[in-house]
Amino acid sequence: MTTPLLQLKDLNVTYAVGEQEVPAVRGVDLTLDPGGTLGVAGESGSGKSTVAMSVLRLLPSTATITGEIVLDGEDVTAMKWGRLRAVRWAEASVVFQGAMHALNPVRKIGDQIAEPLRLHPPSGKSLTDAEVDARVAELLTQVDLPPGRAGAYPHELSGGQKQRVMIAMALACSPRLIIADEPTTALDVIVQAQVLDLLSRLVAEQDIGLIMISHDLSVLAATCKRIAVMYDGQIVEEGPSAEVMGSPKHEHTRALAAAFPTVGDPVSRFAPATSNPLPPEPSERVVGEPLLAAENLRVSFRDRTGKRIDAVAGVDLTVSRDEIVALVGQSGSGKTTLARTLLGLQKPDSGVVRYAGNPVPSGGAGLKAYRRQVQLVLQDPTSALNPAHTVYEAVAEGPRIHKLADERAVVHRALEAAELRPAEKYADRLPHQLSGGQRQRVVIAGALALEPSVVVADEPVASLDASVRGEILGLLLRLRRELGLAALVITHDLGLAWNIADRVAVMYRGELVETGTVEQVLLDPRHEYTKSLLAALPGGTAQRRTVPN
Amino acid sequence: MTAPEQAAVLVDPDERRGGTGTARFVLKKILEAVISVVLVVVLFFFLFRMLPGDPVAAMTRDRVTSPQQIAELREKMGVDKPVFVQFGQYFWNLLHGDLGESRLLNNGRPVADMIGERLWPTILLVGSATILAVVIGLWLGIRAAWRRDSLFDRTQTGIALTLWSVPQFWLGLMLLVVTNGLFPSRGMHSPDAAPDVLSQTLDVLHHLVLPCVTLLAVFYAQYMLIMRSSLLGEMNADYLTTARAKGLREDLVRRRHAVPNALLPTTTLVFMQFGMVVSGAVTVEAVFSWPGLGQLTYDALHGPDLPVLQGVFTVLASAVVLMNLLAELLYRVLDPRVRTS
Amino acid sequence: MTTAETPRQIAWSRRRASIARTWQEFAGQRAALVGLILLGATVVVALLLPLISDESGLDVTKATGEPLSPPTGDFWLGTDNFGRSVLLMTVWGSRISLLVGFSAALLSVVIGTVIGITAAHFGGWVSATLLRFTDFFLVLPSLILAIALSAVLPKGVGTIIVAIGLTAWPSTARLVRAQTLTIESRPYIERSHALGGGHLHVIGKHVLPGVMPLVLANTTLVVGNAVIADATLSFLGVGDPNSVTWGLVLESALNNGAISRGAWWNVLPPGIAIVLVVLFFTLVGRGLETVLNPRLKK
Repeated sequence: MTTPLLQLKDLNVTYAVGEQEVPAVRGVDLTLDPGGTLGVAGESGSGKSTVAMSVLRLLPSTATITGEIVLDGEDVTAMKWGRLRAVRWAEASVVFQGAMHALNPVRKIGDQIAEPLRLHPPSGKSLTDAEVDARVAELLTQVDLPPGRAGAYPHELSGGQKQRVMIAMALACSPRLIIADEPTTALDVIVQAQVLDLLSRLVAEQDIGLIMISHDLSVLAATCKRIAVMYDGQIVEEGPSAEVMGSPKHEHTRALAAAFPTVGDPVSRFAPATSNPLPPEPSERVVGEPLLAAENLRVSFRDRTGKRIDAVAGVDLTVSRDEIVALVGQSGSGKTTLARTLLGLQKPDSGVVRYAGNPVPSGGAGLKAYRRQVQLVLQDPTSALNPAHTVYEAVAEGPRIHKLADERAVVHRALEAAELRPAEKYADRLPHQLSGGQRQRVVIAGALALEPSVVVADEPVASLDASVRGEILGLLLRLRRELGLAALVITHDLGLAWNIADRVAVMYRGELVETGTVEQVLLDPRHEYTKSLLAALPGGTAQRRTVPN
Repeated sequence: MTAPEQAAVLVDPDERRGGTGTARFVLKKILEAVISVVLVVVLFFFLFRMLPGDPVAAMTRDRVTSPQQIAELREKMGVDKPVFVQFGQYFWNLLHGDLGESRLLNNGRPVADMIGERLWPTILLVGSATILAVVIGLWLGIRAAWRRDSLFDRTQTGIALTLWSVPQFWLGLMLLVVTNGLFPSRGMHSPDAAPDVLSQTLDVLHHLVLPCVTLLAVFYAQYMLIMRSSLLGEMNADYLTTARAKGLREDLVRRRHAVPNALLPTTTLVFMQFGMVVSGAVTVEAVFSWPGLGQLTYDALHGPDLPVLQGVFTVLASAVVLMNLLAELLYRVLDPRVRTS
Repeated sequence: MTTAETPRQIAWSRRRASIARTWQEFAGQRAALVGLILLGATVVVALLLPLISDESGLDVTKATGEPLSPPTGDFWLGTDNFGRSVLLMTVWGSRISLLVGFSAALLSVVIGTVIGITAAHFGGWVSATLLRFTDFFLVLPSLILAIALSAVLPKGVGTIIVAIGLTAWPSTARLVRAQTLTIESRPYIERSHALGGGHLHVIGKHVLPGVMPLVLANTTLVVGNAVIADATLSFLGVGDPNSVTWGLVLESALNNGAISRGAWWNVLPPGIAIVLVVLFFTLVGRGLETVLNPRLKK
């Protein structure tokens, strides 16, 4: 039997917070064979990043590590600083989350890739400048970047390119292990697929062991042979990827898996992972007249050079009573601008927004009246709530602006409708005393307090943990079924559309390239772009099947 | 790779933006600075010629003046003409290097000449103090930030904060009292210094010590505090973790990664604080009778000689505007993020 | 709801709790607390002076001591060139300094806050113009402007207050503008707009409460600067010649031969007084900043 590349034995990490020792990792055992790939899944706060950073002892000084971290037969926890510095990057390197911040903004990327080469010369004697340049060029070529880009600064590169630079840097000293901490989290789905593909190809080619940390089980399943699921500092499940994905044993694994449904899987259609049972579909469901409509809407901005860029380039879209429409697209596709224009927060260059057939006024009392009908739910509930306002004040803000009678009853009803029950329990709490999911419910309650007929939700679950995601989606679906509330849900996540939407509109570079029912668009895409979006899904799509209505 | 990513890889950002960005930026900044200087001229014209109502009355305030002198002044200054004519005349003269004439000091010498001969002592004083303050301030700031909450940090921050609370002229007075004749207390030259270059230089340096120390004491403290907080802001940056993960020694992490990032905003701030240095120079020169623009201001205030004040302040404020322009251009050169965007 | 509390009462009790929390954090910083206590003592003494001390000793004609006498049993801090008690002048000097400091700071902070919020909130040409305006005055040395103003206006305490107040606002405006922009970039402002809130609602409910703590901390720092500026103006001879101020005592020390004769007791006390008062304000201001500025929290 070969010696394992990395072995964690009863690893415990605690952080000193004030006087207290807060455990972050509790008794973790993991083994990785040379050239093996292991995914570590978990929500924020599960301890997965702490595990990853402990391997090279990169934790802040408040952390205390006990247990053993055996890297290539040597215990990292027992190393002296000099030895540890020699091992860092030469034996094991790291691809950090969000390469935007992990690269030094004022140094050329070529220099940053070359830095570890000079520090840990592969043959033991230092390299000449020409050798370093040649190696940097070789590394850039390996990650599909032109070698000429070595002279670029990080801000001149796109997010995907920066992550490629991080990978090139990680490969520089031909380490035996690469630790990738959420390497694709901030990236669009298509770029994510490319980066994942590149990373798995390179580690396989060069026989490098890989530990990948992610909150997204499908990403890990696409890249790693084995997956370990962490919850509250412990590993609750470990096994081959297919097994963990296919038949999760621990309840938390099931929640994680359900958060990223397979598009085309009839089990997850109209069934977000929620603990409350959903009401049945109303028997007489008439998708009514269009409530909110965009007609040939155009919005443009000037970029820094003064050139006009069409963020929204001629969009027609309707949302009717009692339906959920998902607006799908990558970041930069113009979907958020479209949403802001629909809400009257952004003036269109041309085209009209209609509500119930009438054009929406651009200001004054008419716009204010419109705002009672169409409401907004934002992506990140933490920043969507004023940290100094209580739940009551946040929800009452709308009713006060519109001078609604009987404010307390209105707020009470809205909180209950958003499933914050009993309302009294939450009324005088501050946002930081609530969980992420509860905060998003407060934002939704704030919108519901005005009793709107349409809700525009901009990435309503993108910043929430997997287990909460299903609950919020369930709430939106429930509101539709119970109140007939229409919703336009803006998302980059096709699984979300599959979970709750009736219709999908796909946006690409300011235009709607494809619109139709969820089944039409996601199972039988016509447009190239929709196809490439679906192809980039890490979990793939289920075979086309007849879908029960 | 598919379309968007590939396109982004292949298009060079420099090509996309074209090479005209920097030239346009420089021109724009120079234009802004010129506008600012014109505004400075207008502002001080308004302050010294319009605000006092009758400028002649204000000029002769607190002193005995004969009616004949007043009538002469009126005609000379053209106060009976409309405002814009007066300003036009003033501005036209200014463009020709004529800042008017001193009324009450030195019997009608051209203000421009007076400023010309006082300029170099001020540049010597301000220049030497700024350079020393920057070097000392940045060095202490880096050390203090890196050992946050250490004895060194707390002592240095405490000293800096105390110095920040000290009025500069009082520090000068105290130095005079404390050194008690060790250094010359007035002026820039001793009459008895030997005429050779070395002796003259040493003599000037001897005179320079006290004013320079007074000026730099307060400004080094400020630069130190700026550098310290700027570096503290970088301390938790993710790229430092990357540098540590690469196996870099802690001092190299600091030197190669943290300090260059923190240095950028500090450098610009140092330049932008130039106005404060100039203000400081005015009071310090008054204390030590250093024959520069500050001393001239002090004398003119006691006149009061408004044309001289107007001229000196216009020159000082314009110098500050120009230093600010330099700061903005320098930032452009130093920071790659600004350079290419 | 079963409790008898109305939402307004809840809001008030919460606000009280938040003030108490801020106070506890502030009081936890020893330096800031010491600064506040000493500052409070100074203000109380300055206010009560007419009750506990005789002003007549400040009058040149009624001076009782020998000129430039070193500290003695009668004159603990010696006398000036007219034979007046330096101690008495230093203590009485606090009144003008604090008056000018507080009034000028208030004036400049009000101007700065209004300009800062307006420049950040409204956008378009209003913002652009105000921003240029602020930048222009930010670059200019404010002391020079203050000297210019006090040289042309009639001499007096009022002129000094106006001269400092009208020239010290740009840094406050800059700070308030930055903080307003930060607050307005938060999604809860977008949410507030989407709920139908207008300019007044957004400024009153979100921006002002968010900016005020910083303005408060900034004010204490501005008072310190104003005290120094006041002393400097007096020293340069453009202050009020008829009131006893620290700057004036120092000016007379330089010009009436006290320094050349080594009369350190004419220089040390007023200077120490300035430094202490400014230091108290700085300590309190930095303490407040640490507690109230979210960016400085670790």
